[in-house]
Amino acid sequence: MPSLRDIRKRIASVKNTRQITKAMKMVAAAKLRRAQEAILRARPYAQHMESVLGSLATRADLAAHPLLAARPPRRIELFVLSSDRGLCGGFNANIFRRALRFLAEAKGADGVPYERIELSTLGRKGRDFAARRKLTARKDYSGIFEQLEFGKAEGIAREIADHYVDAELDAVFLLYNEFESAIAQRVSLVQLLPIVPRPAGGDDRETPVDYLYEPSRAEVLDALLPQHLAMQLWRAMLESQASEHGARMTAMDSATKNASEMIDRLTLQFNRARQAYITKELMEIVSGAEALK
Amino acid sequence: MVDLRKEPLRLDVVTPEARALSLSCDEVRAPGTGGGFGVRPGHTPFITSLATGVLTVVAGGREVDYAIDGGFCEVAENRVTVLADFVEPAAGIDLAAALREHDAAVERLRAIKAQDGVAFRREAALVRRAAARVAASRNHSGH
Repeated sequence: MPSLRDIRKRIASVKNTRQITKAMKMVAAAKLRRAQEAILRARPYAQHMESVLGSLATRADLAAHPLLAARPPRRIELFVLSSDRGLCGGFNANIFRRALRFLAEAKGADGVPYERIELSTLGRKGRDFAARRKLTARKDYSGIFEQLEFGKAEGIAREIADHYVDAELDAVFLLYNEFESAIAQRVSLVQLLPIVPRPAGGDDRETPVDYLYEPSRAEVLDALLPQHLAMQLWRAMLESQASEHGARMTAMDSATKNASEMIDRLTLQFNRARQAYITKELMEIVSGAEALK
Repeated sequence: MVDLRKEPLRLDVVTPEARALSLSCDEVRAPGTGGGFGVRPGHTPFITSLATGVLTVVAGGREVDYAIDGGFCEVAENRVTVLADFVEPAAGIDLAAALREHDAAVERLRAIKAQDGVAFRREAALVRRAAARVAASRNHSGH
């Protein structure tokens, strides 16, 4: 049976922990709000980008461009988005479980196995995961989430595109947590490359007049496609960040609740122990007095 | 059939981090990579990549300037869509401060040795941005 002093100490320490988890929850909530706003701010650009690319696709045949040419996937790369920090519930574990499944299956939608899979990670936890599983990551980007800006997404997207062309990859997949709500994230796997433009409108009018391209169609595409890629990556990064804060908020909320429960239990135990101690002392006094008679 | 030449232009300027502008106007002038260009109502479908410089919006005879860098401009059926990396109204730019910032950015870029890599691209973008701000501010005070 722990002594009164031990229990009192434990109560103090659990109270401390509760204070920390409570603060972390509040910080996560504030960051979540900002991350959600960032998602909303990025939306118009993404929509316009989609529609420009879509109307390009309805006006001209784009299949010749290396970032658009679709081949059966044989040599592929998996790009895993995780977080830099832990203490966010199942956020990273869910991603890694899906990544392992992807690597174990190792075949495309047509059922043909991949010849080669490369792995890249973004986020410190992804790097640790790869090291733990003895997987070699081709490229690792850590510490990006400390200060998220579009320029970084752009730089990474450019490297992905360059590698895609240089290494003659057939497809690049992106694995990330999509933000559904503050308490729900969904692991989602999307194809980054080759880019599949969604034709605009969906109306079956005759093909509209082609654009005038300045300086030339090839150059416009050369600039537009990496930008589109950067935007996709940027959106995934924002979604992932919002998910991370949401997951952390939920995790810290339940941690706070657990701490409160533990404090209640310990307080009860403390009171019982104190009662027993008083009773014991009384008995001793009474029996001592009896003995003197 | 509506005569597009008699209808106003619809201009949307968006950046990856925000929607910057959404308005009706009579004319848009922007720096394309193949040279500056202007768009008036009824312009033929057109798409171009954008360089660094000044975006000018004419509405009701008034010209408003913006510093702009990178991205694309699409023109179709009187809708002008500008997908820019960076946009800022010239009216809010302090020319002297913009000049100092530009010089500082150039210095920082010189200090980076590797000609490629994410850091170099980022600093290069900052230099272009600073140059656009200076140009827009000069243009603005010239009106």
